[in-house]
Amino acid sequence: MQYKSIKKEKWDKALEKLISSHTVYANIEDDFGQDYEKLVASDISRIAYNKPKPATSLKTFFLPVKENVTSERVAGKPWIIIGAPDCDVEGLSIIDEIYLDKDFDDPFYRMRRENTLLISSDCFGIQEHCHCTTYGFKPYSLEKADLAVISMNGEIIFRVISAKGEEFLKTIPEVTPFNDNNALSEIDKKHTATEALLSKANDGLPDYRKTGKIVAEANQEIWKKYSARCVSCGACATICPTCTCFLLIDKPGFEKVKQLDACQYPGFERVAGGEDSLHRLHERFRNRYMCKYVWKPEKFTSLACTGCGRCIEACIGKINKNELFRELA
Amino acid sequence: MEHNNIYKPIRAKLTDVINESSLIKTFCLTPEQDFEFKTGQFIEVSVDGIGEAPFTPSSSPLIKEKLEVTVMKTGYVTEYMHNLKPGVYMGIRGPFGRGYPVEKFHDKEVLILGGGCGFAPIRSLLYNLIAISDKLRKVTLCYGSKTPEDCIYKPYISVLRQTPKFEVLRSVDKATGDWSERVGVVTVLLDDVKVDIKNSVAVVCGPPVMMKFGTKKLLEMGYPEHDIFLSMEKNMSCGLGKCGHCMMGKYFVCKDGPVFTYDEIKDQPNIWD
Repeated sequence: MQYKSIKKEKWDKALEKLISSHTVYANIEDDFGQDYEKLVASDISRIAYNKPKPATSLKTFFLPVKENVTSERVAGKPWIIIGAPDCDVEGLSIIDEIYLDKDFDDPFYRMRRENTLLISSDCFGIQEHCHCTTYGFKPYSLEKADLAVISMNGEIIFRVISAKGEEFLKTIPEVTPFNDNNALSEIDKKHTATEALLSKANDGLPDYRKTGKIVAEANQEIWKKYSARCVSCGACATICPTCTCFLLIDKPGFEKVKQLDACQYPGFERVAGGEDSLHRLHERFRNRYMCKYVWKPEKFTSLACTGCGRCIEACIGKINKNELFRELA
Repeated sequence: MEHNNIYKPIRAKLTDVINESSLIKTFCLTPEQDFEFKTGQFIEVSVDGIGEAPFTPSSSPLIKEKLEVTVMKTGYVTEYMHNLKPGVYMGIRGPFGRGYPVEKFHDKEVLILGGGCGFAPIRSLLYNLIAISDKLRKVTLCYGSKTPEDCIYKPYISVLRQTPKFEVLRSVDKATGDWSERVGVVTVLLDDVKVDIKNSVAVVCGPPVMMKFGTKKLLEMGYPEHDIFLSMEKNMSCGLGKCGHCMMGKYFVCKDGPVFTYDEIKDQPNIWD
């Protein structure tokens, strides 16, 4: 891989300029945790580098909770998103398969995707429920972002992933090629250490080659047991980086408003005649697992869980999907 | 972007409303631009500001200037539709999905099993099959409704009965008046059918319970699973394979269907719900 770097203070100065020419979002850390925020000059020093995931996923940028999809839209300033962990970059690539589908290309999604430079962040460390490696993903991006960023020894180091990322770095004169083998070796060690932490924390979890079979063969009692504390709030789907189901709402003038929806809500599959395949709670609960671990992998290139663990954190019923998988493993 | 917006309907003028039965009406629409579809594909029809629902056109796929949808009053949107008068504009999006593969019906007998409002997609298919009847051996329609009054497209059935190679068998669950045809669920008609199954395909469209038992009977008759074509009904909302409401296992019914062969869907969950 090709690496480039810039002194941290010069990168911060570059960001001060970029926030006037671009709309920049970055993973900002404060006393309450981390999440993406629109970057302002006073927050540049609070950008969280090398940290695992922000509270929300990349989905929120490209699929707004609610938008009118029949109105005209023009791309505004180009976007830069800084600090997406690889689990979310992988999640976005699954959404790409759905929304940039060759038959029906969503113009709103495409406009946002093409207007965005995606700078991933390596994770040096893990959060309680992180388990990306269980599903074959890495805590650092090598493929699907434009750049990956690492902060180390007063330098901001970029792993150059796409041509778009390479072009972007050319616009910052202070960026230079980075060939410090000791530092690169240090980065490798950090990766190995993070992967070891993930491996230890997720001991006993079945991997992505087994989850589909486990979910498909699980009996009804399992779904009833684990859905017993589910209140159909849909938080798991809302926070999930790959859940993208929506509802189209009609407005006068044949306008359509697209609003995020979830199969966990009652009535999601109900037809006008009243038939509802997902009428029962445990069937809705199971449906989400089947979708992620059985049906999506049959249809798309990857299973639709990236191991971010947000659904576990978001669940008000304290339902932990990894407990379910450990029980069935 | 306007031109490529997959969510934006085109306007279509409602030119006529035909009463088919107490609960079923046919809506004749003239879109503001030519609109092509393949038989069995469906469209999303909007009542302005109220909602949108999926319907398979019941008119001929060979006509581009206008189209018809036949709608049973069943829910929120269809109730509004039934109150519409000619002259208003509706919205249409589509066509969506995979229709009937009529080219696979060449040199075959086509056995069609329809129930209730399931006749709507079948009528479109029949228009198509009449147009290519020189390539077909025979077409048999077995159609069931609850009562003779619920039997739709009565004038069209008379036309079909006079069309060479086409045969129509009808049944009602409950006979009234001077009904002289079969009485019983639609599958009883299959007992009357003489068909060369090896050179035949079967098409089923109707309410879920009828689809279930119709398919079962066809399998018992010896139809291979890949020769039974089912038009599936789910909550197709976006039509684009994105919104998720019509997922039937790994399939988006709106995009991968709505027409499936039985062998394609037999292992998927909840196919008859």
